Amino acid sequence: MLARTALIAALLIVLIVVPPFLGIGWQNALTNMLIASLFAMAFNLLIGQAGLLSFGHAAFFGVGAFATLHLMGAIEDRVVSFPTPLLPLAGAAAGFVIGAFAGYFATMRSGVYFALVTLAIAELLHSLAPHWDGLFGGEAGLSSMRMPWAGLTFGSPLQVYYLALGWAVLSILLLWAYTRTPFGRLTLALRDNEQRVRFIGYNAHTTKVIIFSISAMFSGIAGALLAISNETANYSLFSTHVSAQVVLHTFVGGSTVFLGPAVGASIFTLFAFYISEVTRTWLLYQGLIFVLVMLYAPQGIGGLVQTHIQHWSKISWPELGRAYALAAVVAACFAAAVVFLVESFAIIFSPEYAAARGRLDGTWPPFKLFGVEWEVFSPVTWMIPIGLLAVGLLLLPSARRMLRETWDQILERAEAARTAKSEIQLAGAMER
Amino acid sequence: MEFLIISTLNGVTYGLLLFMVSAGLTLIFGMMGVLNFAHASFYMLGAYIAYTVTTTINFWLGLLIAPILVGLLGIFVERNLLRRVHAYGHAHELLLTFGLAFIFEELIKLFYGDFPVNYSMPDYLRFPAFTIFGTDYPFYRVFIGLVAVGMFVTLYLLLSRTRAGLVVRAAERLPTMAESLGHNVPLVFMGVFGTGAAFAGLAGAVAGAFFPTNPNMAIELGVIVFVVVVVGGLGSLEGSLVASLLIGLFSSFAVGLDWSLAGLLSWVGLGDWARSVGGLFTLTLSSISGTVPFLLMLIVLLVRPAGLMGERN
Repeated sequence: MLARTALIAALLIVLIVVPPFLGIGWQNALTNMLIASLFAMAFNLLIGQAGLLSFGHAAFFGVGAFATLHLMGAIEDRVVSFPTPLLPLAGAAAGFVIGAFAGYFATMRSGVYFALVTLAIAELLHSLAPHWDGLFGGEAGLSSMRMPWAGLTFGSPLQVYYLALGWAVLSILLLWAYTRTPFGRLTLALRDNEQRVRFIGYNAHTTKVIIFSISAMFSGIAGALLAISNETANYSLFSTHVSAQVVLHTFVGGSTVFLGPAVGASIFTLFAFYISEVTRTWLLYQGLIFVLVMLYAPQGIGGLVQTHIQHWSKISWPELGRAYALAAVVAACFAAAVVFLVESFAIIFSPEYAAARGRLDGTWPPFKLFGVEWEVFSPVTWMIPIGLLAVGLLLLPSARRMLRETWDQILERAEAARTAKSEIQLAGAMER
Repeated sequence: MEFLIISTLNGVTYGLLLFMVSAGLTLIFGMMGVLNFAHASFYMLGAYIAYTVTTTINFWLGLLIAPILVGLLGIFVERNLLRRVHAYGHAHELLLTFGLAFIFEELIKLFYGDFPVNYSMPDYLRFPAFTIFGTDYPFYRVFIGLVAVGMFVTLYLLLSRTRAGLVVRAAERLPTMAESLGHNVPLVFMGVFGTGAAFAGLAGAVAGAFFPTNPNMAIELGVIVFVVVVVGGLGSLEGSLVASLLIGLFSSFAVGLDWSLAGLLSWVGLGDWARSVGGLFTLTLSSISGTVPFLLMLIVLLVRPAGLMGERN
C-alpha cells in the first residue's frame, strides 16, 4: 500500500516537473495521453465496476467537447464570463444530462443489448450532428478560442497540459473515492449478482442509470479537455473509431485493475505519437495487440502486473527470468516478421508504388524499408520474415512449456503456503 | 404514387440485403450466445474477395468463391479463436470479435487503400428490369432481392426439412442434451458460424457490385444490422426478416420525405413559431434519414424490450 502510494506520488512528480523541458510536440502528446487516460478511466467505471460494456462512449466524450465549445464561444462573445480553468464543468454537466437520458434507455437491458444500444446512441449522434448546424456546427464543426483568465493566457500548450493534468488527477481521485463509497460497493454488487441486488430492495435500473450518468460525466470532462486543447470539434468525435479506441485502451491496460485503463491509454497514445509518423499501419498493430491480449492475457497489462505482485515472494526469479527471456526471443521473432511483412505490403500495395510501376511500364521497382532496398520478387527479401517465423515457431513449444511449468510451480507453492497457514490456524483453534 | 412504389421497391431490396447479413448474425447469436462484431466484416471481405476475383477472372466465379473463402475464414475464427476465449465468458467473445473486426478493416486498408474500389456488375446485367412512371428500374436491384429470397428459402428448408437442420435446432435449444444424445455440438456450432459467415460474404459479393465497396462498408452496415437484430429480437430468424424489411422501408421512405417537426406543428398552428426557433424543429426527415433506424430501435426498446419477435429473457 505504502509502496503503491509512493509510486503514484513519484509518477505525479514526474508528470509535473518534466513537461516544461520537453518540446511542444511531446507536450501535446502528453495532454492527449491525459485525456485518453481520463476517458478510459471513466469508461471503466461501467465495464470494470458495473460490468456494463458500452460501445458508444464517444457520444458523451463528444457531447462534453461540444458543450465546452459552446461555452467558450459565449465567453469569447462576452455573453457570459466564466473562469477558463473551470470550463470542463460544462462538459461534465452536458455529459451527465445526456448520460442520464441515454442511460435510461441503454440500461433497460443488460449484456449484449446494452452494448448494442450504446453503440446505436453514438451512431445516432454521429448521423445527426452533421445536419444540425445550430448545435454541432454542421460538417465543419465548432471552433472557439481559449480566453485568458486571471493573468493566465492559456496560450501555450504547457498551460493547457497543466490544466488537463489538474482535471485528470482530480477526476481520477474522485473515481477512486467513488469505489470507496457504499454506492461504489453497490456498483460492484450489481456486476456480480444483479438479481440479489434487486432482492435486497434496491432499484437496479435507477442505480444503473446513475452509474451510467457518472461515467458519462467523467467522459464529458475528458471531451471538454480535448475541446480546450484543440479549440475545435466536429461530428467525427462521435464516430465508432473514438468508441473503439477507448475499448482497446481499457482492455489492453486491464479493466480489473483500477489504474489499468490509464496505463493502457498512456501506452497506446504515447506509442501512437512516437510511431505514427513512421508507419501508417499503426492501427493494424493496435488491433493485433488487442486480439493477442484478449487471447493470451485476458486481464490485460494491469492484470499481469497484479499477478506478479501477488505471488512476488513465491517467484523464483532466475527460473522465471529464463522462461521470460526465451518467450521474449520468440515474441521478438514473430513481431519482427509481422512488422516486416506488413510494412512491405503497405509499400507494395500503396498508390505511390503503383504510380512508380506505371512510370516504369509495369516492372516492379525495389522498395525501400528500414534503410535497405529490397527486390519484390527476390527470394532473399521473403527469406527474412519466413526465417524469423520459422525460428519463432521452432522455439515456441519449449517457450510455452517453460512458462507453463514455471508458473505451475509458483502457483503450487502459493497454494501450499495457503494450506499450511490454514492448518496452523486450525491447530491453534483446536488447542483452545 | 410514383414515389410510393419506387420507395417501396428500393426499401424492400435494401431490407432483403440487410436480412442476408443479419440472418447469420442472429442465428449465431441464438445458438452460441455470441454477438459477432466481425459479422459485418465478413460482408466487407466478401465484397473485396469478389472484386479481386472479378477483376482477375470473372464476376460469377467471384460470387461463388467469395462465400466459400469467407465461410472458411468464419470456421477458422470459431474453431481457433472464439473457442479459446469461451471460458472467459460472453463479454470476452464479444471483445475478441470486435478486435477481429478492427483487424479486418485495417488489413483491407493495407491491401486496397482507404478509398472505394471500382467493383461493379458486368455490363450485361446493367439493364432495366421494367419501366415504371417513365423511369427504368435497374435489374440488379431485383437480382439482389432474388438472391436474398433464395437464401431465405434455402435456410428455411435446411432448418425445417432436413436432419441436419433438426440437429442444429436441437443444439440451439438444449446444447447439453443434444450432446448427450451423441451429436457433435461443437461441430454444429462451427458449421453454423461458417454458414453465417458465408451468407454474409455472399451478401457482400452481390451488394458490393451495386453499392460502394470501401473499408467503411463494414461498420456502416454493421451498425444497421445490429439495429435490425435488436428490433427483430436477437436469435429470431423471422424477427430479423421483418425488422430488415421494416428498416429498409423506413430508410428508403425517409430519404424522399422533407417532413419536419415544424411542418407537423403547423397542423396545430405552431408552424411559424417552430420555424423561428429552428434547430431540431426545422431538420427535415430526408436529411436525417441515417438516424431513422436508431430512433426506431429506441422506440421498440421502450415499447417492447425483447424486440418484435424475441423471447423475453
